[in-house]
Amino acid sequence: MILSLAAIAQATPSPASVPGANVFTSPLLLSLVIWVPVVVGVAVATMPNPRGRYDVLMKQIAFFTNLGLLFVLWIAYNQFATFLPTMQFEEKVTWLPAIGAVYHLGVDGTGMTMLILSGLVGLASVLASWGVRERVRSYFCLLLLTQACVNGAIVAHDMFVLLLFWGASVIPIALLVLGWGGARRESAVWRLVGYWGLGTGSLLVATMIVYAASGSTSFDMDVLLKAGLAPRVQLAVAAALIVAAATRLPLFPFHGWARDVYADAPPGVALIVAGSASRLGAYLLVRALIAADPDASRLLSPILAGLAVLTMVFAALAAVRAVDLRAAGGYLAMVPGGLTVFGLAALTPLSIAGSILSLFSGGLAAALIVGGCATLSERAQTRSVQLLRGLAPRMPVLSWLLVIAALGLIGVPLLASYPAEAMIFFGSFRSQPAGSFAVALALVLVAAVVAVVLHRILLGSPNPDAPAVSDASLGEAWYLGLLAGALLWVGLFPGGPKLPGTEQVVFDPGLLNVMSAGLTDIASAYAGPNPASSP
Amino acid sequence: MRSLVLLPEAVVVAGAVGLLFLGRPGVMRRGRRRYLPVAATLVALAAFGIELWVGAVLSTFFGGALVQDRFALFAKAAALLAAAAAIAVTDWSAEESQSVGLAMPLLAAFGVMVAASSGDVVGLWAGLELAGAAAVVVVATRRPDLGIRLLVTGAVGTALLLSGLAYVYATIGTADLVGLRQSLKVEAPTLPLALPVLLLFGGLAVRAGWAPYQFARVPVALGASPLGTGVMVGLVAMAALVVGIKVTAVLSFRPELFVSGLAVVAAVAMVAGGAAALAARTPRARLVYLAVGQAGWLAAGLATDYRAGLGATLFLLGAFGIAATAGPAALGGVEGGESGLAGMGSLRPARAAALVIAALSLAGAPPLAGFFGEFAVAASLAQSGQFALLALGLLGAVLSQAAALGTVRAVYFQSLPDETRRGAIPAWARFSSAGAVGLCIVIVAYGVFASPIMGLADQGAKALGLR
Repeated sequence: MILSLAAIAQATPSPASVPGANVFTSPLLLSLVIWVPVVVGVAVATMPNPRGRYDVLMKQIAFFTNLGLLFVLWIAYNQFATFLPTMQFEEKVTWLPAIGAVYHLGVDGTGMTMLILSGLVGLASVLASWGVRERVRSYFCLLLLTQACVNGAIVAHDMFVLLLFWGASVIPIALLVLGWGGARRESAVWRLVGYWGLGTGSLLVATMIVYAASGSTSFDMDVLLKAGLAPRVQLAVAAALIVAAATRLPLFPFHGWARDVYADAPPGVALIVAGSASRLGAYLLVRALIAADPDASRLLSPILAGLAVLTMVFAALAAVRAVDLRAAGGYLAMVPGGLTVFGLAALTPLSIAGSILSLFSGGLAAALIVGGCATLSERAQTRSVQLLRGLAPRMPVLSWLLVIAALGLIGVPLLASYPAEAMIFFGSFRSQPAGSFAVALALVLVAAVVAVVLHRILLGSPNPDAPAVSDASLGEAWYLGLLAGALLWVGLFPGGPKLPGTEQVVFDPGLLNVMSAGLTDIASAYAGPNPASSP
Repeated sequence: MRSLVLLPEAVVVAGAVGLLFLGRPGVMRRGRRRYLPVAATLVALAAFGIELWVGAVLSTFFGGALVQDRFALFAKAAALLAAAAAIAVTDWSAEESQSVGLAMPLLAAFGVMVAASSGDVVGLWAGLELAGAAAVVVVATRRPDLGIRLLVTGAVGTALLLSGLAYVYATIGTADLVGLRQSLKVEAPTLPLALPVLLLFGGLAVRAGWAPYQFARVPVALGASPLGTGVMVGLVAMAALVVGIKVTAVLSFRPELFVSGLAVVAAVAMVAGGAAALAARTPRARLVYLAVGQAGWLAAGLATDYRAGLGATLFLLGAFGIAATAGPAALGGVEGGESGLAGMGSLRPARAAALVIAALSLAGAPPLAGFFGEFAVAASLAQSGQFALLALGLLGAVLSQAAALGTVRAVYFQSLPDETRRGAIPAWARFSSAGAVGLCIVIVAYGVFASPIMGLADQGAKALGLR
């Protein structure tokens, strides 16, 4: 604990010069992370593949595309000016002047954090999909398109572009679940389309309300999100944004898709949904609500906090009652989202910073628990919690990775979720004391549930009636290990690793430093006392 | 240059007549007839190119009966592109008569062109009737009974439309669109004026297939040949919508006469179209209902009654026309339920992609042409404060997209047909496969490179003299 808190306190106070920084620059860096997966996806889809002869090649193409993207993102991460409050790597091209849409991309620290998360999860999802044997070409095309949509929604700085990628992401994910999902894939897909469709509709309505009320002729976020609106309009917009975020994250009671999709999607798809696509909900709240509309945020923060607490409690109770291991994992994957939203609802600079870090750590933890449960179910040849017992001695690697996932969920020291949780709690205790207490209790409940579930399946004597089990394959160990390693790395070095005895960061400028760029802009409205409570 | 403005119309009519003649048995050798679809596509594309080249010249003909402006340029170009795409993707083994099948889309496009450049109500009516008649002919080649049914339904629409137009003429005293518009500026919105407007839009609703008037057309669409369905659902609806846009522009000073009624029709069409598409069990029915839903968005755009709204409607009209005309044609000879599409994704990839992209565009899925058009209409609805209509439109769009996913699933994820069933998905001519690839490119490019197209659509709305 002391180590991590010290790391938080020691966030580098000046722009850090990292060896290798500014070696490579590209004015189209953000476009690359969107359009490279699209181009490669379309190329994969149109490649001839008689009788599956080039299946392995397709997988390799998807893998190296993701590896390349992660490399590009790593360069961008290293070149990020950590104390610049403005958007970086901006691209702005007039697109549809008739309706005021601009191809405007840009990232601040929050966006960069999300991009790194998306890159890691994307690579892990390709590795998790290595076992796909049916229609490999279509699968990896859709997976790459999903990743492009997620990246596009992260870097969009125009509401039209955001809506385009936000809405488009539903289609490849739904098709992946429909084409390669489990027994209840139909139900999963219709629920996904219904809930995410509702969310997209809400986001569109919110955008249109601001567009109409502000009399704007532009969808650029710089214009639209800074428009002065009447209080009632602000409230309507904020409510629509919360519905959009709640359907995506998901938050109770908009979680209807989560169990079926996490339980019945193929592991690679469940991973990308839990890890990055669903985090877009909380990212939207940061971008369009917390940063843009302080008054409505203050007014609706108790509702947001309530939804967050309910989500965590519901997820814990539903997970302990679930008889399907993948469903239990799916419910547990809702917990980090609740915590992230609670930090945002607390509306203090520290809690908001914690929430942004929690976007990253929560995404990794959610992906890890969903992926771990999916892989374990496949390796154990059953998903029934009642049949699975005593797996630890027979699946040591998977068991350890599942334990790390569980620890990541509840936020123990040395993992990235710990500093995030600490920042959220420290930041929220003054503004949301009752909520903090409730969230603490919910986390205790989650910890108890995680302990019960892990004890039930990993420990004890093996069930003689259960099918034979085998440990994770190399690919599975790699993808889960990648996610666990990232959790551990950021937990150990949130401010970046430094040369002994110096302030010189090596290799990694520190997620906390990168994340803090632009944070002042987002949280400045909440730095002082609440104007509503002032005399 | 002015003398060339009507050249596209001449090319299209000459091409249609020539194809009717050349397609007759005995005129050409059987082996050479397979090049006729290529020739018909080239005729439509040549007319399209000429239209883009010379269509920007503003001019009037026949004492103002025909007007060439940016609106006419846009609508004519869209109709020609839709006809070219439909002819290019058609599976001719599933059509009863190649010569009729090749000529009628061109004549239907000619009908849209006449309506688009018409300067008076007679031209509007004539254009609409021409497009409708072409659809009747192409439908009747396979099912004469359905041709008669379509003729009767069309006659009902025409009767309503003509009654409305005649009533307006009797009330105002002129058939000229500009004159009508000027007169309505000072005319009070009375019941004698509201009644013909109601009749007029009733007739257009039947022709455009707006819910709840689509029920007369759906059985016809399901029984006709694939191209017949495309002509009826796409080009005839385009003609009706072009007339609708022109009438809306005429009535723009008296929005109280039509906005509420049109908003109701739009809401019903958007939601009912989406819901019916979701409930449909055959791919063709699903496409037809998706087209009904998108036609509802077009009606919603008209209900905004201002320039940006009509500009957005015009842009969406182009996207709608291409997907609704070529989509059913891309379906080809696949009959029956969704199981008929099984294996299409792997056996006929170009055709599968064209079908899926057309369906998704009609459903308004991003990032295709339909999405951009529906978004532009949504922005106009928001600017005109019609949030209830916008919300219903979004509901319809979600339903439509869920329905389109059903088609995608059937095409790509249903198990491959065994050897005995492979023949159920007929092989395509190389030209049709190339046409399918072209259709995919057009629908994607129409959305992604929407800026100049949207700009032209906005100029088209401006040409109608709107605020």
